[in-house]
Order: sequence, then C-alpha cells, then structure tokens
Amino acid sequence: MTTMDVRNAALVDQAPARRSWWKALLADRGAMLALLVLTLIVLAAVFAPLLAPFDPNANSRAVMQPPAWSERGNWQHILGTDGQGRDILSRILYGTRLTLLIALVAIGIGGVIGSGLGLLSSMYPRLDPWVMRLNDMMLSFPAILLGLAMVAVFGPGVWPIILALAVASIPDCARIARSIGIGVMSQEYIEAGRAVGLTDWTIFRKYLLRNSISSIMIFLSLRFGQVILIGAALSFLGLGARPPASELGMMAAQGRDFLLFAPHIVAVPSVAIFIIVLCANVTGDALRDVLDPRLKS
Amino acid sequence: MAEPLLSVRSLEVRFRLDGRSMRAVDDVSFDLQKGQTLGIVGESGCGKSVTSLSIMRLLPSPPAQVAAGEVLLEGRDLLKLSEREMRKLRGGRIGMIFQEPMTSLNPVYTCGDQIIEGLRVHSGLSGKAARDRAIELLELVRLPSPEKRIDDYPHQLSGGQRQRVMIALALANDPAVLIADEPTTALDVTIQSQILDLMRDLQERTGTAIMLITHDLGVVAETCQQVVVMYAGSVIERGPVDKIFADPQHPYTIGLMAAVPRMDAGRARLASIPGSLPPPWQNIPGCRFASRCPLADNRCQAEMPRLREVTPGHDVACWKAPIEGAG
Repeated sequence: MTTMDVRNAALVDQAPARRSWWKALLADRGAMLALLVLTLIVLAAVFAPLLAPFDPNANSRAVMQPPAWSERGNWQHILGTDGQGRDILSRILYGTRLTLLIALVAIGIGGVIGSGLGLLSSMYPRLDPWVMRLNDMMLSFPAILLGLAMVAVFGPGVWPIILALAVASIPDCARIARSIGIGVMSQEYIEAGRAVGLTDWTIFRKYLLRNSISSIMIFLSLRFGQVILIGAALSFLGLGARPPASELGMMAAQGRDFLLFAPHIVAVPSVAIFIIVLCANVTGDALRDVLDPRLKS
Repeated sequence: MAEPLLSVRSLEVRFRLDGRSMRAVDDVSFDLQKGQTLGIVGESGCGKSVTSLSIMRLLPSPPAQVAAGEVLLEGRDLLKLSEREMRKLRGGRIGMIFQEPMTSLNPVYTCGDQIIEGLRVHSGLSGKAARDRAIELLELVRLPSPEKRIDDYPHQLSGGQRQRVMIALALANDPAVLIADEPTTALDVTIQSQILDLMRDLQERTGTAIMLITHDLGVVAETCQQVVVMYAGSVIERGPVDKIFADPQHPYTIGLMAAVPRMDAGRARLASIPGSLPPPWQNIPGCRFASRCPLADNRCQAEMPRLREVTPGHDVACWKAPIEGAG
C-alpha cells in the first residue's frame, strides 16, 4: 500500500455518512426484529396461494373451531375456523394480502399527490396559501366520513376504500412535505442552483425532491400503519371489501357476532393487524432516527 | 472611459412586508469595466446582497420588487428580459459565488454532476466532453487530484475545497461577469487568502470582471480597483480604491477605515461607529447617516445629499465633503 492509498483509504473511511445509517439500523435490535417480521408478513402475503392450507372461501362443517393449542382444537385448522367453517389461517394469509395492497396503493397515491402538492407550495410561495387552505378543508373531514361518502357514491368495494384512504392521506402528506420543503428551499444551494441557470423543473426534481425524499419516505412509512388501521376500521364498518373476499378488518367484523363463544375469530385478525401496524411503526421510527439529520445530533 | 460591461443605473428595490413597503436599495448606480474588480462594501443589511441578487434577478418576488432603474449587461437591460432569456444568462454570462460554501452545493449530487449540469444547460456539452471539461475546471481552481475529486460528494470536501468547486461552477461557461457575494467570509484566514489569490489569478487568465461584495476592507484593498461604499441602501461613496483608502471623504467611510484593526495599534480599544443602521421602513428626509455622524448639522437632518464628484472619479454623498485631512 502506497501513502496515496493510505490517504485515500482514510478519506473513504470518514466519507460514508451515507453508509453509516445502515450500521445504525443494524445496531437497533428492535427495528431489525420489526423489519424481519414485516418482511416475513409481506412474503407470506405475496405467496398466500402457495402457503394457504385451504381455499380461503371454502365452507366446511367444522364451524367455529378454536385454534390448535386450545382444548378442542386440532392441527388441521391451526388457527381454527370462523362462523362459516372457513380456515382462519388461509383467510388471514389472503386477508393480509388485500389489506397490504389497499394500504400500499392508498399510501402510494396519497403520498405522491400529497407530497407533490406540499413541495410545490413550498417552492412557490404564491401557491402556498391556496394549497394549504384547501388542505385544511380536507383535514377537517375524518377518513371514516370520506369512506362513507365514497361508498355512497361508488358502492362498497376495495377501490372506494383505497380512494378514501388516499384522499385522507393527502392533507397530512402535504403538510409534512411542505414543512420539509420549506426547510430545503431556504438552503443556499437552491439559490446557487438558480444562479447556475437551472429551470424550475430541474430545481424541483434534482434539488428539492431529492433532498426531501428521505424525510418524506419516513413519514409515509409511519403513515402506512395508520392507513392499515383506518382501512381495517372502514372494513369493520362494512364499507370495505365485499364478502366473501377476506380482509383483516372485515374478518374481525364478521367475528363480532361470535365474540362470546368463539373469541378467536375476532382475536386472530386483530392480532395480525396489531403486529403489522406495530412493525410498520417501529420500522418507520427507526428509519427516522437513523436518517433524519435533525434528530441525529 | 470605455463602455462599461455591467452598468447598474439608479436601481431601487422595495420590499413589501405586512402592508409596509420599504426601500432596501435606493438609487444605486455603478459601473463595472471589463477585466476589473469592483468592491461593494458596507455593513450587514446595507443592501449589498440585495443589489447583487437583483442583478441576477434572484430576489423572491413577492416580497421584493425592483421599483426603478436598469441593469445593463453589454448594453442589454437585464430587468426587461424574459425569465427564459435571464436563465440563459445566469451561469452563462454571469456567474455567482455564494457566502456559505458549506451549504451552497447540492448535498445529494457529486461535485462533478453539478458542474456537468451547468455545462449541459449552457454549453450543450454532455458525456465524456462535459466530464473532461469539468475536470479541467477543477484543475483550474487548483483542487488537488481533480479526476478523483470529481466523483466526491460535497460533504467529503472541506470548506475551502467546496468554495473552489463553487468557483469552478461559476466559471464553467466563461462568464463575462462574476458576482462574488462574500466569497471568503465563511472561510478561515489562510484559506481566504488562497481563494482571493485564486480569483485574482483566474481573472488575469480569463479576463472576467468581478463584482466582489464584502464587508472586509482588507479584502477590498487587496483585490479591487474600484470601490462602492453602501450605507442603508444607498451608495455614499464611490471611486478608485487608492483614493478611497488614502483619502476617504464620507464620515461613514472614515469611520469604517478607523475601525479596521491594525497590527501596529498596540492594545488600544478598537474604534467603532456609535449607533446602528436606521430601520429600513423609517422615512428619513435627510442623510441616513446623520444620526450617527459626528459632523451632522441641521441641513444633514433635513436634506438628502446626492452623490457629487469631489475629485475626478471620486464621488461622495455628503454635504460636508470635501473633508480636509481625514482618514
């Protein structure tokens, strides 16, 4: 190794303020566990057709069978069966699939529109009051009410729910993106970029968006958990997926009638929701801790 | 004298805030000749940066508004250009360097990418040609091992190195005018002098005219040929650097000169100018410096002095000028 190599190696060593967040994340045991569980859940949801022991919609005589570990349970239906004798494990796998899909699409649409609006209004102060007042108006509608309205217009189903959740996510995302964007816009490199003669579009893409995207992504990952909860709540109210499709919130709602003699029908999907939301939140929190420079010091 | 390269004529900039309209820059005029360095001096808030940003048309509007005046670059009034034409000039004919090298580069792109972007926009270079030119520029600003540094992110460079990259960025498309807004304020003294040397050297090589904004009189004495002294938004003294330093005529300039710490002054307290800048929304009929001026009388309070020539090429806005034996 020549002296030059040594010097370069030293430079590389101090350089990665970028790589070290991985290390920070790896060092956070709780976050790694949450990430692992979340990954397993996503994989299970994706490969539901391969993993599910039964057809999720097939009825059987064995109704309201408790889970395998309880007295009257058996290992054929590991998590028991619901009021119509459908295998709960299979339904959970398919239900998670639908729930995650709803949440992802909703957060995707809401996140893109919301953060787009927020960043635009941070970039153009003229636009700001208009976007933000519109935003305040949207904030004043609870997601449940939006869901009801969508269902009233389009009828119950997955898409009205996705639409309602997306619309409900827009104002929050816009607020957060705007405040992040204002911070970025006040940096001197924005002015420097303008002084080089870059177009607004380039400034938006390469300066504003690129510098705020990580903070926005963290917010979205936190928001993801909430969206799943609201989605489940809407399904619970009967506004979501239509039977016989399985969705976690709807499964819990269907178990409501048997709460006293077969509590597992409600408990199992509720626990699934709980685990997904918890993991999403812990992961989002950890991401914020390791990525957000403002929280670093 | 020859036709100036950049000429600012009676520029007036107003800020509208909370329904109040205030003058940040009032009747500012100066000329920048080809290949020259012009220093703009004044304390914080005197309108130096607002002047430079309005030349670039980079002031946020609202609240800022250029109320009057013209900015002529090679005879063209920049204030009348369309946004698209102006964009071509920014980073093309006019380059700009900022005060804070630590924050004036985009942290998510490599230095090379940022220079190449500037080249792509103005010179239409791309690919290998742009990269070669970027390396050439980094070599020009004497960044060590440019072919490696070009792929570094800004956070991997020191403040002085980043300022060199900024200069490379500003010079990328051979600008006629380089506006340097306090380019050395955030750097420590040894790096300051290196950067100033570099700018002087580059000026000799490329013939770029430099407009240097600073509050450091030492920097002005070292680098500029012409000086404009600003106070509370207007030009109060203007002239060649040797005249201003040898024989300052405005009481404010005299005070500034006296406030420069000297190596031979021993342990005496530093001189200062009592009082502070009047708030910009205050309407003052007379000289804006009158409240702090030891020589002020009734006329100074009542009537605004205009710039007038005391010796050829040396203009002062003061009723008391010429002041004998000052400085």
